[in-house]
Amino acid sequence: MSLSRVQVFAIIGCVFLIILLLELIRRNYLKERYSLLWLVTGGIFLILSLAIESLGRIAHFIGFQVVSNALFLAGIIFLVVIALGTTIAISRLSERNKRLTQEVVLLKKRIEDLEKVQSDSNHKK
Amino acid sequence: MFVENKEKILVIIPAYNEEGSIGKVIEEVRDQVPEADILVVNDGSTDATGNVAKEQRVLILEHPYNMGIGATMQTGFLLALRNSYDIAAQVDGDGQHDPQYLNKLMVPILTGEVDLVIGSRYLEEKGAKSSVPRRIGTRFLSILNYILTGQRVTDPTSGFRAINKKVIDFFSKEYPSDYPEAESLILLHKKGYTFKEVPAPMRKRQGGVSSIHFLSSIYYMVKVTLSMMIGSLKEI
Repeated sequence: MSLSRVQVFAIIGCVFLIILLLELIRRNYLKERYSLLWLVTGGIFLILSLAIESLGRIAHFIGFQVVSNALFLAGIIFLVVIALGTTIAISRLSERNKRLTQEVVLLKKRIEDLEKVQSDSNHKK
Repeated sequence: MFVENKEKILVIIPAYNEEGSIGKVIEEVRDQVPEADILVVNDGSTDATGNVAKEQRVLILEHPYNMGIGATMQTGFLLALRNSYDIAAQVDGDGQHDPQYLNKLMVPILTGEVDLVIGSRYLEEKGAKSSVPRRIGTRFLSILNYILTGQRVTDPTSGFRAINKKVIDFFSKEYPSDYPEAESLILLHKKGYTFKEVPAPMRKRQGGVSSIHFLSSIYYMVKVTLSMMIGSLKEI
């Protein structure tokens, strides 16, 4: 099996992406749970660029005239999924952030009340 | 009106930049329901709201930044829950809600008739008149509320409310963030809690600026309509 030039560049790109992802996870810039989708996508793109003929067959089977259109669509779908996942993560974080702030507000009030009680009893002594 | 002393009552006043009106609101609430504890939740005001409230010797919770009315009320409900209050009432800090109706608002809670009572500005033709577009909007939301809950409410967006212990517990876990009033009714209905309205004419604002401006009223309607419909589909 000989590789075309496009394939070589695609494979290099995918390998670079996967290495970058692993490095980011290793350095704690990316949480595993959020990076899973990225890794899976990198893996799929790598497999597709290795087996570029099967990509063409899949694209034609679905009904694409031009193989690259199938790739563009796949890329857009991937971006939408990533954006949705990010929004879900932000929603969860903002809910937790709200609750955390409320707890801090209540705790601060309790500390102030306790300090008042303590200073009052100190005055009595 | 009778209010039994053994019930622990908390009047929550959410306030965002209400330095001009909050002092008077606190005084009036204290006059009307002297047995209640008053809690001001200062939602990150940039004016002297917090200081005005402190001079009045009430309970105060200060949000470190502006979190919106939903989170502000929920902070109050959390305090009510942790300190085992039996009733929590909401009176806005801008002076539109007339505290003289507070006792009437709490009667159906005290008698155990319903779980939440709304003070409606439309049940009786008194008080400050709302603008025509506002009335049309409220009418629409009222019909939507009827479709979704099967219950007639003339003023679903009114924030002048009283709730019992069960609803305090529920709201401290689950309370919508923006424009929470109408959606909260849907959530209550889903949970099987009951509510009713009593007349409570509103006054003109005593200070501050309404949080609903003309241009954002369209957004307001869309947001509330959507949140009510989504609320009725939510898993809770």
